[in-house]
Amino acid sequence: MDKNIAIEVKELSKRYRNTETLAINHLSLEVESGEIFGLLGPNGAGKTTIISVLCNFITATSGEVMINGINLKSDADNIKKIIGVVPQEIALFPNLTAYENLRFFGNMYGLKGNILKEKIIQLIKTFGLANKAHQKIHTYSGGMKRRMNLIAGILHSPEILFLDEPTVGIDVQSRAVIIEYLKKLNELGTTIVYTSHHMEEAEKFCTKIAIIDMGKIIIEGSPAGLLRKYSNCYNLEDVFLEITGRSLRD
Amino acid sequence: MLKYLASTIKDFIILSRDKAGLAMLFLMPAALIIIMTLLQDSTFKALEEKKLPILVLNYDKDTFGINIVEGLKKSKFFKVTEQPDIGEQSENELKMQVAKGAFQIGVVIHKNATNVLRNNIKFNIVQLLPEKEDLIFGDEPLLLQNAAKIESYFDPITKNSFKQSITSALHEFSSAVEAKILFGIYSSLFRELLGMEIKNKANFTNLVEIESAYASINDEVIVVPNSVQHNVPAWTIFAMFFIVIPLAGNIIKERESGVSMRLRIMAGSNLPFILGKITTFFVVGLLQAATMLLIGVLILPLIGLPQLIVGDSYSALILLTASVALAAAGYGVVIGSIATSQEQSSIFGSISVVIFAAIGGIWVPVFIMSETMQLVSKFSPLNWALNGYYDVFLRNAGISEILYYVAMLMIFFLICICIAWYYNMSRKEN
Repeated sequence: MDKNIAIEVKELSKRYRNTETLAINHLSLEVESGEIFGLLGPNGAGKTTIISVLCNFITATSGEVMINGINLKSDADNIKKIIGVVPQEIALFPNLTAYENLRFFGNMYGLKGNILKEKIIQLIKTFGLANKAHQKIHTYSGGMKRRMNLIAGILHSPEILFLDEPTVGIDVQSRAVIIEYLKKLNELGTTIVYTSHHMEEAEKFCTKIAIIDMGKIIIEGSPAGLLRKYSNCYNLEDVFLEITGRSLRD
Repeated sequence: MLKYLASTIKDFIILSRDKAGLAMLFLMPAALIIIMTLLQDSTFKALEEKKLPILVLNYDKDTFGINIVEGLKKSKFFKVTEQPDIGEQSENELKMQVAKGAFQIGVVIHKNATNVLRNNIKFNIVQLLPEKEDLIFGDEPLLLQNAAKIESYFDPITKNSFKQSITSALHEFSSAVEAKILFGIYSSLFRELLGMEIKNKANFTNLVEIESAYASINDEVIVVPNSVQHNVPAWTIFAMFFIVIPLAGNIIKERESGVSMRLRIMAGSNLPFILGKITTFFVVGLLQAATMLLIGVLILPLIGLPQLIVGDSYSALILLTASVALAAAGYGVVIGSIATSQEQSSIFGSISVVIFAAIGGIWVPVFIMSETMQLVSKFSPLNWALNGYYDVFLRNAGISEILYYVAMLMIFFLICICIAWYYNMSRKEN
């Protein structure tokens, strides 16, 4: 049974320096291998902090994280080899071309030579960027940058992929390409942890959802299961509002 | 190795596409070296070639006054104009001319200065003789009078060095006149007391010859220090340390863009990434130094300045330059790691380099600083670098002679890297 658990989080807490409130508040969750796990929540709920801790970008104040059975605290390097991250910001070098960016990140993942070259060509074709591969990133549109941001995170074919709002602020076409590709990746066995404000997208895309607020999971389950539980709600957005309320967040 | 190479290549490409950044790294320091050297060189020339305008009012009109005015006129440093004696208003007129800036210095030789000088010399001679000879110079005993007086007035913008040069010149001429009058009095004493006729053929000038030369070990041929020998290394070091701004800015930009997050969650150490940056900016530093030194050797002579002499030990020069480039790159990395925004890094980076330069002797030679500042200067990496270059260029030092400076620069580099590493680690703890 344990073999199917990709991510296991126990009593995870994170308090940022010089703050009183917990960004993550004794949070526990499990993500099964092959799942598309959606972390949904209002602004400031702690989604990005959870992803940052899970991928070892920042350290937790307390709690335990196991990824594919490996303890994050004691063996982070082995975990880093099997995970990929697509950050919320466009984490690319604007003065390098798409090809140069991907070659650099590929090299940093340890890829090189023809294997890397073929992988880059395949991915930029898939994401409709083949004819712009030798243009600098700063000349790209928002949608193209988002697609490139994703490619840079999946270049090394990670077993577990963390996506922090990968489709924010882009056109419908780019979103469709990204979601379609992520589904394909998932079918091939990649476990995906994804944050978004886009409820409709999450409802269609995720196999399991956790709605979090103030660093805690308020509810979790499959989108269909949540809709069944909140039978008065028409869609996931209604469920989200029902659970997190309508007051504005910072 | 792959990560290190990828990182280095990436940084080279990014830097090569930043035309404004490259201009700042190469053209600005080149302009700085040429302008600063020309300025300093012309200042030195101004002292020698453009004579200092002096207005002289000679109330004395006797031996003392006439000799002082003649001495000033013969000096190569001064252009003397005599103020006509129109009575009491003459001195006020002189002060006004100087205050207006028409002359940088005004000199007033007081009335009866020669008589006062003669009287006081005679008085002192009497003090040497037995009491019975008190009236040797006349019927009345001599009284000591107030010293013969010369007053100097300076234009407020006159530099201290100019003030000192006129004051020493006046002292020199006064002493010569004093000696001349003294000898004249003794001559008449010889004639009166011994009945001996003095031929007045003696020449008491230039009895002492002062020779000056630059000290060197084993009488090696050494390079004469000039504005080029100081300015080229000084501003080269300054420019090399100014890579702090693009380097720190580059680190912060990557941190803000999320690239560093992407890199930090990759397996393995972040060190190849940092080393890639250091390598890139280290090479830039070497290229900067090579460009600036070539300007000193090839370009400056074309515009009428002395040629830069780089000494005989190329190996020492390369080792020292490499150490300076590494120290500068290390400083850039530490500023980029500590600063939280590009604005912060550019302000702190540039001001700190300017402070290091100021205390390090880039602008003002360390030896003229106060004792405290001389002590402080020992903590500036720019001072270690400058002293190293002075040793290589002016004292023909080899590797062993500059090892101290190389070691200090390398220690500075390692401390910077350790601090940067500590800050990066603590940022993860957040």
